[in-house]
Amino acid sequence: MTASAAPANVAPVALSEGHRRAQRAARIRGVIFAALGVMGLSFASGTMSHDVTFRFWLQQQGGDAWEFHAMAGVIWIIAALITGIGGILQLWRGASVSWRRWMALAMPFWIAAIIGTLLAGKPAVLTNLFAGSLEYAFPIAMGAFAAMICERSGMLNIAIEGKFLLGACVASIAASVTGLVIVGPIVAALVGVGVGWLMTWLAIRHRVDQIIVGTVVNFGALGVTNFMYLRVLQLNTNLNTPPTVEAIKIPLLSDIPVLGPILFSGTPYLYLALVTMVVLTYMLFRTRWGLRLRASGEYPQAAGTVGVDVIKIRYRAMMLAGALAGFAGSYLSLHSAGSFQINMSAGKGFIAIAAMIFGGWNPIGAFGAALVFGFSDATQTLLSSLGVDVPPQILTSVPYLVTIVVVAGLVGRVRGPAMAGQPYEQS
Amino acid sequence: MRKRLRPLLVPALAVLSAFIVGSLFLLFTDIKHIGMLTTDPVGAFTGALGNIIDAYGALIVGAFGDPKRFSTALQSGDIHDWTIAFRPMSETLVAATPLMFTGLAIAVSFRSGVFNIGGDGQFVLGALGATVVALMFRGMPAPITLVAALAGGIVFGAVWGFIPGFLKARTGAHEVITTIMLNYVALQIVQLALRNDFLRQSTSSQPISKVLDFVRVPQLIPFLGLRLHWGFIVALLVAALVSWFLFKTTKGFELRSAGLNLTAARYAGMSAGGSIILAMVVSGALAGLGGAFQVMGSVTQMSNDVNSGYGWTAIALALLGGTRPGGVVAAALLFGALNNGGHGMQVASGVPLDLLVFIQALVIMFVAAPDLVRKIYRLRQPAIESGAPAAEGAPA
Repeated sequence: MTASAAPANVAPVALSEGHRRAQRAARIRGVIFAALGVMGLSFASGTMSHDVTFRFWLQQQGGDAWEFHAMAGVIWIIAALITGIGGILQLWRGASVSWRRWMALAMPFWIAAIIGTLLAGKPAVLTNLFAGSLEYAFPIAMGAFAAMICERSGMLNIAIEGKFLLGACVASIAASVTGLVIVGPIVAALVGVGVGWLMTWLAIRHRVDQIIVGTVVNFGALGVTNFMYLRVLQLNTNLNTPPTVEAIKIPLLSDIPVLGPILFSGTPYLYLALVTMVVLTYMLFRTRWGLRLRASGEYPQAAGTVGVDVIKIRYRAMMLAGALAGFAGSYLSLHSAGSFQINMSAGKGFIAIAAMIFGGWNPIGAFGAALVFGFSDATQTLLSSLGVDVPPQILTSVPYLVTIVVVAGLVGRVRGPAMAGQPYEQS
Repeated sequence: MRKRLRPLLVPALAVLSAFIVGSLFLLFTDIKHIGMLTTDPVGAFTGALGNIIDAYGALIVGAFGDPKRFSTALQSGDIHDWTIAFRPMSETLVAATPLMFTGLAIAVSFRSGVFNIGGDGQFVLGALGATVVALMFRGMPAPITLVAALAGGIVFGAVWGFIPGFLKARTGAHEVITTIMLNYVALQIVQLALRNDFLRQSTSSQPISKVLDFVRVPQLIPFLGLRLHWGFIVALLVAALVSWFLFKTTKGFELRSAGLNLTAARYAGMSAGGSIILAMVVSGALAGLGGAFQVMGSVTQMSNDVNSGYGWTAIALALLGGTRPGGVVAAALLFGALNNGGHGMQVASGVPLDLLVFIQALVIMFVAAPDLVRKIYRLRQPAIESGAPAAEGAPA
């Protein structure tokens, strides 16, 4: 997957330089982890008497429940110990420790401890929290898949936001006019294909910078959808009252205790996201199409030399991505909202790009990242519904800050396709 | 003369084409007249066309003023009538002022090969910085407070530009992603800050700051009572300053070299990281200064919606103006007229202001694709050497 085109004579120098850097990064991480451990212990001392109750529905909403009781302080101690040990190991053994595993292990305890402390004794229904995270994650994951297909083919696509808005708007109108909910997502996907084609045509045929093309689409979609809402939909509300997408329980699977209500009682959108993730992973890494797609993103000249039509691949990738993004946009208006509202994507398209980067340009990783962002949304909903007074701005900022940290490579550098955003001239 | 006007041809045609597409869009969303199409096709068509002419007419009157008002003012000579006659023009210049600052900010970054999409965040943080400093200096003599608050705006904006610049220079983090993320973080910071009692207007349920009536930027023509303030003149001076900096100083030359070819600039002994950071800091400072003038000149207090997409419009301005300060000023005046006239259009003909957002997006598209415009209007493709301005707009 990585193009190792570095000349051989610089390799040893680069290795030792990289090694030195990795050791320094490990030391910095070790100190931070250890400090977090100490911080966790200090929180633990103040919260030993705090009672925490987490509740999971066994079969369905409001039915039998499985409850988990603990002291907030105990959770803090576990979180602090895991983090602290991970930090000490890194200080001692250096870069050879796989710190990601330690972080992944400690993360749930940190989150449980923080939520438990904030709830201050009120019981929290975690089934809703997890199911909510999955639902919130859908548009972000789908947008991330769309952006990923584009970047893998060498096109930089920052217009996911604009396609979400257009998709939401046309899906609402199409579903309202026909009265059939299924028409909405299909029309939204078709509009997405059209926008994807337009973007590629401008970028390849007319050599417009890909970031500018994306800006045009985002800006134009905002203008068009606001205008449509104010001039048409607001006055003709019958065009903006679509039937909504209902949840479907998957037989058998939805009867699994605890997991059933979380994973298998959602809307078709959720299942489609999971299916897309699996199919896309297979397509990208196991098929000829995927190999050619990745080749046009990493080294288009080489791909062109062996006879791959890079231009055609990029057109198709952008149109497929447009379909996915437009489809995801339909979720916004047809899911719980039940109508199109002005600027209802509210930056989710950009979060999707962040999820793609966070997930390392890889479908499974991107879905995981989308879940993290969805979780932050769902937590906010949970806390505000329980009346916990945390300024929502702090939680809202977390995904953006995490993205900056990831993009800057402060926590594990990720590397995208080499030629994303570079125009390719067929010779 | 023809030679001098030549570079203006494509931008002018781009704006014209955008308006034509915009009017088609108006036509297709005219539900009332589309419904009449089967019963009275001629009436429907003329009605819809009349609608478009009304809307664009109201746009022009809203942007430049009503000739009738001017003649009334001439006859009566009353100062109040003059105020009414000149108000649309004053409002156009007020609307253009923040656009000039953000447009210059983005132009500097594009010239230096950095894609600053974070004009929005730098602008709102500049406004926030000015508000915070002004309230801290409350009670000091007004000129001192004003200068300090403007400096506060510059510093906040520059810091918000420095972060992505530093990350790009040191770690290679793509500035498009980081600046977009920082835009959202900036909005959250503003909302969080407006919860604080130091800033918050306690009598209002809305999250807005205390009224900054003790540090007003003075009005340009005090006896007419118009909103136009000295921020507009400062914007013009800053444009001249940016032009001098970019084209007449060594640092400016280094920035432009980095923008044209980073590798070549590096081989010539220039610091690539240094010019990226400098470009982002200057860019952020300009946007922040715009925010400071906005909050102390055009409006009277800090709020969530002090910024209405100025950072995004600025991208259009930088491209339309060919990333030259003079061009950016001209483009900002045009867009100021559009935005201000749009309000008139919305009131007079009920066409939503957002039509202009769409038209502005089309302007970016047509300006960024000059050969598309040339093809539509069957113009000759330019000779190689005059093709340069179009390429300058897009950083490497």
